[in-house]
Amino acid sequence: MSGQSDTKSRLSRRTLLASLLILIVIPITIGIGIFVLDDRKYFFISLLILLYTMVPFAIVFERRKPQARELIVIAVLTAIAVAGRGAFFMLPQFKPVVAIVIIAGICFGAESGFLVGAMAGFASNFFFGQGPWTPWQMFCFGIIGFIAGILFQRGWLRKTRLSLCLFGGISTLLVYGGIINLGSLLMFTPHFTWEGLLAVYASGFWFDMVHAVATVFFLFILARPMFEKLERIKVKYGLIDP
Amino acid sequence: MRDSFSTYHPIINLIYFVAVLACSMLFMHPVFQLIALLSAMIYSILLKGRRAVRFQLLYMLPLLIVMAVMNPLFNHAGVTILFYLRNGNPMTLESIMYGIAAAVMYVTVILWFSCYNAVMTSDKFIYLFGRIIPALSLIFSMVLRFVPRYAAQVKVITYAQRSIGRDITQGSILARARHGIRILSIMITWALENAIETADSMKSRGYGLPGRTSFSMYRFDRRDRVVLIIMLGLIGGIVGSACFGQNAIRFFPSIRMSSMTTGSIFGFAAYGCFCLLPVAIRLVEDMKWKSIESKM
Repeated sequence: MSGQSDTKSRLSRRTLLASLLILIVIPITIGIGIFVLDDRKYFFISLLILLYTMVPFAIVFERRKPQARELIVIAVLTAIAVAGRGAFFMLPQFKPVVAIVIIAGICFGAESGFLVGAMAGFASNFFFGQGPWTPWQMFCFGIIGFIAGILFQRGWLRKTRLSLCLFGGISTLLVYGGIINLGSLLMFTPHFTWEGLLAVYASGFWFDMVHAVATVFFLFILARPMFEKLERIKVKYGLIDP
Repeated sequence: MRDSFSTYHPIINLIYFVAVLACSMLFMHPVFQLIALLSAMIYSILLKGRRAVRFQLLYMLPLLIVMAVMNPLFNHAGVTILFYLRNGNPMTLESIMYGIAAAVMYVTVILWFSCYNAVMTSDKFIYLFGRIIPALSLIFSMVLRFVPRYAAQVKVITYAQRSIGRDITQGSILARARHGIRILSIMITWALENAIETADSMKSRGYGLPGRTSFSMYRFDRRDRVVLIIMLGLIGGIVGSACFGQNAIRFFPSIRMSSMTTGSIFGFAAYGCFCLLPVAIRLVEDMKWKSIESKM
């Protein structure tokens, strides 16, 4: 019972913080972009907004002083995702990161899913090189883990292969592909046009498709054994559901 | 030769890169862009030598050209029409100039990031953010440690499996795939079990208790203070010139920027000094070293 109310208060505190950021700080940033910077610095402004969306997660996570066991499970899942990205470095876009992030979000909750995703994006770029794309990747991986956790909590996403693979494929194609391509458009041509956006989506389609197929493939193979192992660890060491 | 700017306090490195990246994303004035691009090129060559030259010629130059060409194809704003494309859209001088400026901006940002990757190592990052976000920094440092550790452990597991004929190099293709998945499964179970052990060990040593200290190699000394003051002064100069609109440029409908004055030259000088600061620090340090060496 106390765990549940704790979860609720955490969620509401994040909602409060997030709404503060969304309602006040983001409009101010956009306003500065329009009036001070002459509305031409789309990439800089979008980068700032992206960072704002990740701040509440970090603050809430730090505030509740997570236990060593929780920390380390997140670290292990992140490291598996990073190592997986490294293991498949020769196949472009064919990466298991999204699959592992989804599994993490389902097993340990939406918040852990976001942290595993964002951390995997950030830490893997210490091996592959940081760049202006880092925040975009962090946000995309993180938000997929977060959505997976929430949908699972609501009961819309089940631990069956069909449901997982469907969610994995669609979210990789639409959420990851949709956001990362927008990001690369803003990076390449700070002058936004709808034709440009369409062109970027069209040229990125096959990359996103490969990525989505990879996610489906890894979920198909990994999901069941990973769930078994994680559930076993949870039962064996009494890790409560966060 | 070690880069001497990297040996300064991490906060100095961080402030420098945040400022220089923000400036190169914001300023599209040609003189400012040229200063930033050249400085980033020089510094990355100083940091990485021949590899940086190859990177710039092989990847950055084609990227620059492709991006500069791409923009006018999608963007038809501007009043100076040069000619019409086959599909009837005009090709304007402004959109070509804007394409070049955007391409230069992007390449400059990537080059600064390549310098950032060489200077801001993960230990500096953990040191800086260990106090603000301790839990996340801890996760981050554990991830960096786990990745090579897992790579080593996979090798151990593979050898053990090979001795009982279950390696990925043994058997039919189907059997190989099954062996591979088995090795991965063993690996993940080991990682999780091992992690719980680490967590218990952390707890028994008092992780999270108040009054614990942390070790760091960094000291904020006099030269850091001097460089910080210089940096803040130069940033002030750049922000000042930005306030007077000297580094702004308008591309559409027609190109317009403020005319050259003594004030704008002052702004260029401040920006140039700021962008070349690490290069200057390194050259001064090298000269010092040479003179000490020659006295010996």
